[in-house]
Amino acid sequence: MTSALDRWNPLTPLAAAIALVVVAFIGPQPWTPVVVLAVALLVAAASGIGGKVAALTMLVALPTFVLLVLVDVAFPDASASHARWVPSMASTLDALAISLRLGAAIAALGVIVVGVAPRRLTRALAAKGLPAWAAYLVIASLEAVPEARRRADDVIDAQRCRGVAMGKGTGVRGRLRALPALAGPLIVGLVTESEERALALDARAFEPGARRTALAPIGDTRGEQWARRVIWLALATAIAWRLWEFVHTLSIVS
Amino acid sequence: MSLPARRPLSTLALALIPRAVALNLALGAVVNALKLPVYLDSVGTILVAVLAGPRAGIATGIVSNSVLGLLVSPALFAFIPVAIVIGWLAGVTGKVGAFRSLGGAIAAGLVIGVAAALLSAVIVIALMGGLTASGTGFLTIAIRAVLGVSVDSAAKIAAIATDVLDKPLSCVLVYLVLERLPRRLSARFGGATA
Repeated sequence: MTSALDRWNPLTPLAAAIALVVVAFIGPQPWTPVVVLAVALLVAAASGIGGKVAALTMLVALPTFVLLVLVDVAFPDASASHARWVPSMASTLDALAISLRLGAAIAALGVIVVGVAPRRLTRALAAKGLPAWAAYLVIASLEAVPEARRRADDVIDAQRCRGVAMGKGTGVRGRLRALPALAGPLIVGLVTESEERALALDARAFEPGARRTALAPIGDTRGEQWARRVIWLALATAIAWRLWEFVHTLSIVS
Repeated sequence: MSLPARRPLSTLALALIPRAVALNLALGAVVNALKLPVYLDSVGTILVAVLAGPRAGIATGIVSNSVLGLLVSPALFAFIPVAIVIGWLAGVTGKVGAFRSLGGAIAAGLVIGVAAALLSAVIVIALMGGLTASGTGFLTIAIRAVLGVSVDSAAKIAAIATDVLDKPLSCVLVYLVLERLPRRLSARFGGATA
């Protein structure tokens, strides 16, 4: 996977994405999420991943909006001023605000998820002190998923051939009884395999707490390092400002 | 980012965790094949926690939801705290010997289920207004329609109803697997089953 984001050290877009997510939630509503969403989608489009990030965002934000409006329209509160099946402006705006906030967060994180290869991100984190064990867990997990899925399909096919009932005609009790026959071999196989993998790790003198030297270090210019410092400082300032506002509001109320 | 460089987990636990994470995702295929109204997406986390202790369970939960966030949807990053609670509670209940009997495993599942449900309901309410486009989300709507309670209350009831079925079933699966696992192997983990 390559994108325009590969020109950057992965920690820089990661810092920006985390800052955008936090700002979307703590900033003035509903305009901050709108701005965050626009910024994230523009960055995604400029990086050549606009379509995928937009799809990820819509997949979460749109159903949330539809469900929230639907519930209010179909089952309004007893105290609600609007009639059933008539959407009220207030609750529609509430649903829009929640969906926008959620969409902004998904879009900001989506830029990282779609645009930055996990292996590259983990290597960049390792260069900043992430120990070998944590880097190993992330990379090995990502690599283990396709194999486990393939094995699950194999187990299902094998048990179906042996006559384990799992179709639509089988009741819930029958399908529950079939569960150990399907999940058991998969789980036991993965656990016993981990022993072999542990032996391989020991044989290679894997040191979980060690910091590894990268063969091809990921570039990290002075400009990017400063950019990240500015992002973290701006985020800390925004959080402090929001906390101060919150405390100020409390003191006025009391 | 600077994390402590001390040895955190045994090599065996480190080798098991990626497979447990993959298991959390792969069991979805089994659930789909059987068309069961559960997720079973924490079996790997519970298994590691019982075999290798709460810290390994917490690590599995964090990595599992991070990988899900990377592979499925970034929205799943928000549920990392739930995975942490599941890993920690499974490890603790394993340490007190809950997984040495079927009844104990079911009881552990109920404890884990209620705790996970309450926390996930709080997250869903805070971030998504109480509704998600999932089985639990549609159950929330059904509860709201039938009982007439608020969306927040319906979300909590739906989460408990789902997790109180899902987590005991996950714990029973783990118990059955531990029963069939070679003693030599489970003893090597030095966890609750030894």
